[in-house]
Amino acid sequence: MHKRTWVSGLIRWGIVLAISVLTLTPVVWVLSLSFKPPQEWLAYPPTLIPRQPTLENYLVLFWPGNPVGVVSEMVRTAEPVTRAFINSLIIVPISTALSIIIGFLAAYGISRFRAGGNFLPFSVLTTRMFPPIAFAVPLLVYYRSLGLIDTHLGLILMYTTFTLAFSLWMIKGFIDSVPRHIEEAAILDGASRWRVMFTITLPLIRGGLAAAALFVFIMNWTEFLFALIFTSRFAVTLPVQVSRYAGAVGRYYGPQAALGIVASIPVLVAGYMIQRYLVRAFTFGLVK
Amino acid sequence: MHLSTRWGRWWEEDRWMGQLLILPMQLLIWFVLIIPMLIVIYLSLVSWQPIMGVDWWQAPFAGLRNYAQALQDQRFLSALGRTIGLVLAAVGLEFLLGLALALFFHYQEFPAKRIFSSIILYPMMLPWVVVGLCFYLLFLDKGPVNYVLIQLFGPGASVQWYQNPLLALMTIVLADIWQWTPFMFLVIYSGLGALPPEPVEAAMTLGASRWQIFRHIVLPMLKPVILIALIIRSLEAFKIFDLVYIMTGGGPGTSTESLSLYLYRTGFVYGQLSYAAAMALLVLILVALVARLMVRPLEMELESR
Repeated sequence: MHKRTWVSGLIRWGIVLAISVLTLTPVVWVLSLSFKPPQEWLAYPPTLIPRQPTLENYLVLFWPGNPVGVVSEMVRTAEPVTRAFINSLIIVPISTALSIIIGFLAAYGISRFRAGGNFLPFSVLTTRMFPPIAFAVPLLVYYRSLGLIDTHLGLILMYTTFTLAFSLWMIKGFIDSVPRHIEEAAILDGASRWRVMFTITLPLIRGGLAAAALFVFIMNWTEFLFALIFTSRFAVTLPVQVSRYAGAVGRYYGPQAALGIVASIPVLVAGYMIQRYLVRAFTFGLVK
Repeated sequence: MHLSTRWGRWWEEDRWMGQLLILPMQLLIWFVLIIPMLIVIYLSLVSWQPIMGVDWWQAPFAGLRNYAQALQDQRFLSALGRTIGLVLAAVGLEFLLGLALALFFHYQEFPAKRIFSSIILYPMMLPWVVVGLCFYLLFLDKGPVNYVLIQLFGPGASVQWYQNPLLALMTIVLADIWQWTPFMFLVIYSGLGALPPEPVEAAMTLGASRWQIFRHIVLPMLKPVILIALIIRSLEAFKIFDLVYIMTGGGPGTSTESLSLYLYRTGFVYGQLSYAAAMALLVLILVALVARLMVRPLEMELESR
């Protein structure tokens, strides 16, 4: 009996380890590639640990003209990713903040006053239901007339709207869970309803707001299609730069891998910070 | 709730405050959603391309010609069929794998369980383009997948993944499965954790087998959670663009083109915005109908409790 539990324990460990290895392999491979010099990119047999590790693939992303070595020689013509990095750092936080503020106000109105009727929260979900390309066609026409193409503002407006479904539904869930009698007590003490909203309810759900904000940040940071269509030079974001860089530098796999790693770090950090809210976030609060 | 009217300020009346609170959201939705939807309907009924030199509201009327063209467009229809097949294959496998993983993690005991469940979550947080890049690099002709194949089966086993339509599609499906199985796992695992223990305990004392308990007690109780996960994932997978754009670009030829990629090219590469608008509306109608059908069992499930 004792021996049998020992063996089944080992089998369980084997299964778990195999799953973890399968999950980790693609990114570990890219991570290793990002530290390899050119002669090792397609070396045969491939090695997981770079024989001559180098930081050149990372340096070349931000200083492509700077002749540190053979990689920068190869990708001299490619544009630096600095602009895209800064653009993402401007567009994503602003649209995330707007989405959370507007989402919080609307969620409070819907939760406490049933404003907009029963259908309103569901109509917001349609932004997530349909393929974004269907919205992109008319938006292009519209944006051309308004001069919003290739501007930060243009992307910020879109990102705010298309993440409202997440912020509204997540925050509404948090507000619904705040008992009304707490608010009523404050109103009896003479506080105005707006004051109650900002000084009683808001502080009670700030953990939830932070989680919603980090999740919306992930959604905005990873968005690709709108950025690809609506930007060309000035407002290009990091995911577009990943795709464009791959095209521009051809088979320069090392820098491509390095850019992939750089683009992933912020969302991985954000994702693990809100790990226990992920189910709620991805399912619009329908599963808790 | 009559308290607020005591102060007599209009913006503190319940109705006004509610309307004011949802106003910013309403404005955004009108600006980015409803007005563009009206434009797309108009566009689909005219014949307009940006290169025509006239503004879009001056374009000649085309009636339903764009729709008729779409329904006879072989490339559109095969992109549609391919995308549906992709959704069925990817979401189906994600569900089975996710369910198996969730059951394993829920019912088996092993050390460091929480650490392992954290590790396997990370793919779904990554940018799609990065997942596409990772899998593109894995399946290169001289990449690590081919290396492993050669080690296992000899030098003839090397495969040119991106030259063959079916194999190229398979790499895309694999990338999607790798990224989104964690989502299925996470939703079902937390659903399992939230189930009340009493029904299972009762069945156990009555001598039900493990399979009977799973099939007749656990699975029915999990049904709403599973339906929600399937609906969300299917709608999401139907949008697939980034992976295809990065990994194959729709190639070889147009043999791996997804619906979103074809619409993108029609509208934004070939500049046929009217035609793209008509196809987009057809897709919207289709998605709305399918979503309606998929939500129905969920509603029935929730009504019956």
